Amino acid sequence: MSEKSYAHPEALVTTEWVEGHLADPHVRIVESNEDILLYDTGHIQGAVHIDWRSDLQDQTIRDYITPQQFSALCERNGISNDTTVIFYGDKSNWWACYALWVFRLFGHTKVKIMDGGRDKWVAEGRHLTRAVPHFAHGHYTPLEIRCDAEIRAFYDQALAQSRAGMALIDVRSPAEFRGEVTHMPEYPQEGVLRGGHIPGAASVPWKMAVKDDSTFKGVNELRQIYEDEAGLQPGQDVIAYCRIGERSSHTWFVLTYLLGYKNVRNYDGSWTEWGNRVGAPIERG
Amino acid sequence: MYPGKLNQIIALFESLPDAEKRESLISYAASAMKQGPRDGETFDLEDIRKDEECTDTVGVFLKVYPQRACTFRITLGPQVQTLTKAMTAILCKGLDGLTPEEIMEVPADFVPKIVGAELVRQRSQTVYYILTRMKGIARVWLNRERSAVSKGV
Repeated sequence: MSEKSYAHPEALVTTEWVEGHLADPHVRIVESNEDILLYDTGHIQGAVHIDWRSDLQDQTIRDYITPQQFSALCERNGISNDTTVIFYGDKSNWWACYALWVFRLFGHTKVKIMDGGRDKWVAEGRHLTRAVPHFAHGHYTPLEIRCDAEIRAFYDQALAQSRAGMALIDVRSPAEFRGEVTHMPEYPQEGVLRGGHIPGAASVPWKMAVKDDSTFKGVNELRQIYEDEAGLQPGQDVIAYCRIGERSSHTWFVLTYLLGYKNVRNYDGSWTEWGNRVGAPIERG
Repeated sequence: MYPGKLNQIIALFESLPDAEKRESLISYAASAMKQGPRDGETFDLEDIRKDEECTDTVGVFLKVYPQRACTFRITLGPQVQTLTKAMTAILCKGLDGLTPEEIMEVPADFVPKIVGAELVRQRSQTVYYILTRMKGIARVWLNRERSAVSKGV
């Protein structure tokens, strides 16, 4: 990965690297998908499945699990505090990045993405298995509180960012940004009352960061997209958002790990909160 | 409440524990690619398109036999979700032999009974899409039939 000169090249691993570490006891491979049954149809040998909804989110309140629940999740998947966790998944790693971001909320920093995700692994003809692995329980000491303040933005903070004219990146499709549609392309309506974007947000669809094979673009192309074209500058406070926070997790990963921005937050409430919120200011076009 | 073959599938799924239900869905999903047109088959209507509501192209092929019994064939693009693939195979089997009118009356509320409420959630709503497309092509067939009758064809 170093040839691309990413700020944190250690945050990405190749499919070859993963294949060479299938039996590494210090590594746990985690598959996170949008397609809820995809893991069951076949996965990388030794990979465990962590679901963005049923595993990482509170099942009643729109929020994440507690540190204690996260600790239990890790332990039953054989993950300890010092385990290096490699994430991969479908949709160009949307949910892998989301899961990685949630792991960071709980202070787990030994995290990496398998570049190209599941599609690349499959396209290369690498082995998949239906055998679900069972590991000895890990030993995970939870944080007292989640690290929300560092990498997560809430409505009030996104509003303040907008009013202050600070950097907001809308990573949805251009039609969603313009307010022409209230759903993602290729998906049914999921319940947003208003279309448009947060005032002042720049439109940089997540997909601009990846190549056709779902691997990330090189650092020069990324700088051109996010800095030359969207106007971001290293050192800025940036908030990224989408509809429910998974596509913006992907962009959060790009800005944080590949370009080395230090103050990027993911507004996971995103458009399903903003577009339904009474009185929230909206721009269209 | 549901047509006979579909009702049997629903009853089977409702009797299964969650783990076996998932296995059955994966088995149905694996057979989805066998639901396409077979060599030599002809159809009354064909509808192949990529809609905003689904992640890939879906082709629906309808043959209505003289006793008004319908047979569906369906092709799916590779990006279609596993649950939607499973529902394709289930519907091709469960609705086989129904009349177009009966197809139009199939309520969509059987989906959670088969899939389980846990799996029908945000980002898996395309599980309903295949039934909508099958009803859509049945509606077109009925409209054409009514038009032909009114013209005395």
